[in-house]
Amino acid sequence: MNPSTDSPAGPRVRPRRSRSLASAAIGVWSLLIASLCVASASTPAAVAQEYQRISGEGSSWSANAIDAMRVNVQQFGITIDYNPTGSTAGRKNFLNGTVDFAASDIPFQFEPEDGSAPERPAPGSYAYMPITAGGTAFMYNLRINGAQVTNLRLSGENIAKIFTGAIKTWNDPAIQADNPGLNMPARNIVPVVRAEGSGSTQQLTMWMIDRHPAVWQSFCERSGRAPACGPTSFYPTISGMISQSGDVGVSQYVSQSFAEGAIGYVNYSYALGTQFPVVKLLNAAGYYVEPTPENVAVSLLKAKINTNESNPQTYLTQDLSGVYTDTDPRSYQLSSYSYLILPTKVGGQFNEAKGRTLGDFAYYAMCQAQQSSASLGYSPMPVNLVEASFEQIRKIPGVQVQDIDITQCKNPTFSPDGGNLLAERAPQPQACDKQGPLQCPNGTAGLANVPTAVNPSAQAAAPAAGSGSVASSANPAGGASSPAAGGAATPTAGGATPTAGGATPTAGGATPTAGGATPTAGGATPTAGGATPTAGGATPTAGGATVNTVLDASGAPVDAVTGAPVVDPTLTAGGVIDPTTCDPDTGLCGGASAQVGQQAANAAQVASAGPVVTATLRNGSGWNGSLALIVLIVLLMMAVVVVPAMAWRYFAVEHPT
Amino acid sequence: MTAELRTVLPPQERVGEPEPRPFAGRQGRSDKVFTRVTFLSGVAVLAIMGAVGFFLTLESTDALGRVGFSFLTTSVWEPDRGEFGIKAVLTFTVLIALVAVAIAFPISMATALFIVEIAPRRVKSWLVSLVDLMAAVPSVVYGLWGAFLMQGQVIGLSRWINTWFGWIPLFSVDGADPGNPLSNATVYTASTFVAGVVVAMMVMPIQCVVMREVFSQVPPGEREGAFALGATRWGMIRVVTLPFGRGGIIGGTMLGLGRALGETIAVYMIISSRFDISFHVLESGSNSVSALIALRYAEASDFGLSALFSAGLSLFLITLVVNFTASWFVARSRSGADSEA
Repeated sequence: MNPSTDSPAGPRVRPRRSRSLASAAIGVWSLLIASLCVASASTPAAVAQEYQRISGEGSSWSANAIDAMRVNVQQFGITIDYNPTGSTAGRKNFLNGTVDFAASDIPFQFEPEDGSAPERPAPGSYAYMPITAGGTAFMYNLRINGAQVTNLRLSGENIAKIFTGAIKTWNDPAIQADNPGLNMPARNIVPVVRAEGSGSTQQLTMWMIDRHPAVWQSFCERSGRAPACGPTSFYPTISGMISQSGDVGVSQYVSQSFAEGAIGYVNYSYALGTQFPVVKLLNAAGYYVEPTPENVAVSLLKAKINTNESNPQTYLTQDLSGVYTDTDPRSYQLSSYSYLILPTKVGGQFNEAKGRTLGDFAYYAMCQAQQSSASLGYSPMPVNLVEASFEQIRKIPGVQVQDIDITQCKNPTFSPDGGNLLAERAPQPQACDKQGPLQCPNGTAGLANVPTAVNPSAQAAAPAAGSGSVASSANPAGGASSPAAGGAATPTAGGATPTAGGATPTAGGATPTAGGATPTAGGATPTAGGATPTAGGATPTAGGATVNTVLDASGAPVDAVTGAPVVDPTLTAGGVIDPTTCDPDTGLCGGASAQVGQQAANAAQVASAGPVVTATLRNGSGWNGSLALIVLIVLLMMAVVVVPAMAWRYFAVEHPT
Repeated sequence: MTAELRTVLPPQERVGEPEPRPFAGRQGRSDKVFTRVTFLSGVAVLAIMGAVGFFLTLESTDALGRVGFSFLTTSVWEPDRGEFGIKAVLTFTVLIALVAVAIAFPISMATALFIVEIAPRRVKSWLVSLVDLMAAVPSVVYGLWGAFLMQGQVIGLSRWINTWFGWIPLFSVDGADPGNPLSNATVYTASTFVAGVVVAMMVMPIQCVVMREVFSQVPPGEREGAFALGATRWGMIRVVTLPFGRGGIIGGTMLGLGRALGETIAVYMIISSRFDISFHVLESGSNSVSALIALRYAEASDFGLSALFSAGLSLFLITLVVNFTASWFVARSRSGADSEA
């Protein structure tokens, strides 16, 4: 009755099958073990002893910047775990002592006005350190006749009404009035908000309450949140809204193909990462502005930083009401700083050894890391905040104080006279970005090089011959633009030459190209056909030549090269990159290289390329990263589960069937 | 009764309850150690369960003491304002679990029947491995898969159901406008249904395993008997396998329900949380107790945490009841009580 004794052929056949399977299984296992060995061998054991692993949690708004820093300090043996679960969770877990530091867009809420419980950190146990700046951008997914809209403009009031359900469709007359060049579709608006406690939600509601109190108040009452209608980290939702966790959740949701009509608020860097456009927001000067790093730098000149050092509860915190009403034409109203909350007392799991690690990380973050933040979509810290932050770092217990010469930080905002170079150099908005009958076709953020066709009546009518001069006059920063190499001044990234583009519609006139002004021509060269013009991006080789030209002509790196070519178009988007960090050979700009430490000593040396940062942004926030993760997990599981399971089944001689 | 009619036994052997034969041999040291260890493990399991329940109750007394019975009748979740309850959250949790079970039940039952009754021997072992593998996939992978890959595909199904069966309140969707080409597909996303479909994929294996186990215990005699009386394969399944496995089917389904109720991360990644009760399963917005805890625990105040513990306690009790009922059914089935054999 027993099958194994029944058939004498059984035992002879089975072992052969088992052998082949066994060898396959052994092969997979040895591969796994080998890869594990390689992974452990590559860890620099010598350095790892000096630093302790530290953990942080908080803002997902600033997570792309922190993640890039985190990856870059691994070369020094500093291992940091950062968990972007939202500012509120970061502050909460910092108070609970389960993380070593927190990242938060807003300070501790001692007196919250939204009905949530107050946060009460022990006095003198923490210090704020502004780590990066950026714009809270409105990323949207909208198509008109199948073509993705990339140049949407909205007034602040319309944004407030969209996120409070007062405006429900994209063809609302108020939105149409903002976009004379677009035929807005009769599609419903789906506001996508943050599900969990979030600093960007707080920034958004603070701005709404300051600028559009009536809109907010009526929403607050409708949502059932009243009477606690103060600024809140927890967005009240009503029917028709979607709430998602983290900037990643919001940006991923908006970028899905089914999410047409959706609009969500995320940090600008997430729009770059997912290759989606952002709303140009109307400012007090009457211009529709995109939150590029330069524009954010300009806006934050009006942020009031609390400099009363005697009160650590508020020291270095921001008052943004001046930003909301800034009349600079380049100002973006929802610009803000984001903070690290550093521990200033030993206690719980935090000790002096960790303090030393955190200190070194913080020094890196405030100095070297700032030079690459623009390429990620963040705005670098100005000099006064960097200096104040160095003082804050001293308060970390166990920190090894570094005496940093800030001129070696290669921070693009630093200028010898103490001003904010990045802000001074920020290009003025184009004429078609002014409130009125005109509308620029240029794309924004992640789709900066994809223009959107605008109605002929909304196109700028500028003489094509004057396009070259317009291009240079659009870059009026004091002394910054120096077309050294005979007309080689390239237009800023994504900026291109709008008027030229408007003046040279391609055949059919449907798609006015953004006139990718090639550096050598020195003027506008409308692309023939114009299906996908490369706005300002030029080609990597051509751009690389530009950098070379400038460097050769002046003998030293000059700052005329804005919008220098970078291999990844998402990185060029709006990023004015410090030319001193551009590699003349590869054309790669920005980014901290593996040799930053050594190179800081050599000022004359041009910092080398930053492939690390490039990789971080593309894998860290894009869908590609998630896909790769899934594939990896599936493959690993196949190796760990399926193969042994199969092997087990075949090895089992008395298999009960 | 029939047994007594057939069998004549000496009266003294039927007196009293049957008693276990005393263990005659001397217990060696290893036997003693083994007995102790197994006893302790058994006690530990009970103790841990008890400790979990005790801890949950202890932590939630603060919140429950403040709101009392209204905890069950309040929909909103604003613990810091003293206004919170699990009415909506629990409703959505049960809805997601029911959707999941409704989808998983036919699939798992058909798979179990196919594996036990129909599949050739070679295919059988592969299928068993594959179903086990489905159970081994971490739920975060299901979450990623559901949120990013499957959600876009389910929308088509949701829209179809809504278009043709929207007159049933369960399938109607506020804001849906199937006739309008510019209508938003987003009204079908992040819904109870999408979450339910993903959770179905996660509970399917456990249901399938339980059912397969029970089906494979069908007495071969009865099976052969049915065939001998001229039953087709389906006829045999209908009159022998299914009645015999009834306890396993119910028990396995309820075990799946228990798991579906507590599923966290996949649901968390898919749904857009809402606190107004809606029975429109295709409509955007849903909630679940475990997803609520995952979303809020990191940022909750002390009192908020206590409120979350009360929500956890309610889920703990519900899953406890569901799982005990399920295992009771499964145990009955395994004893062969349903069978005439």
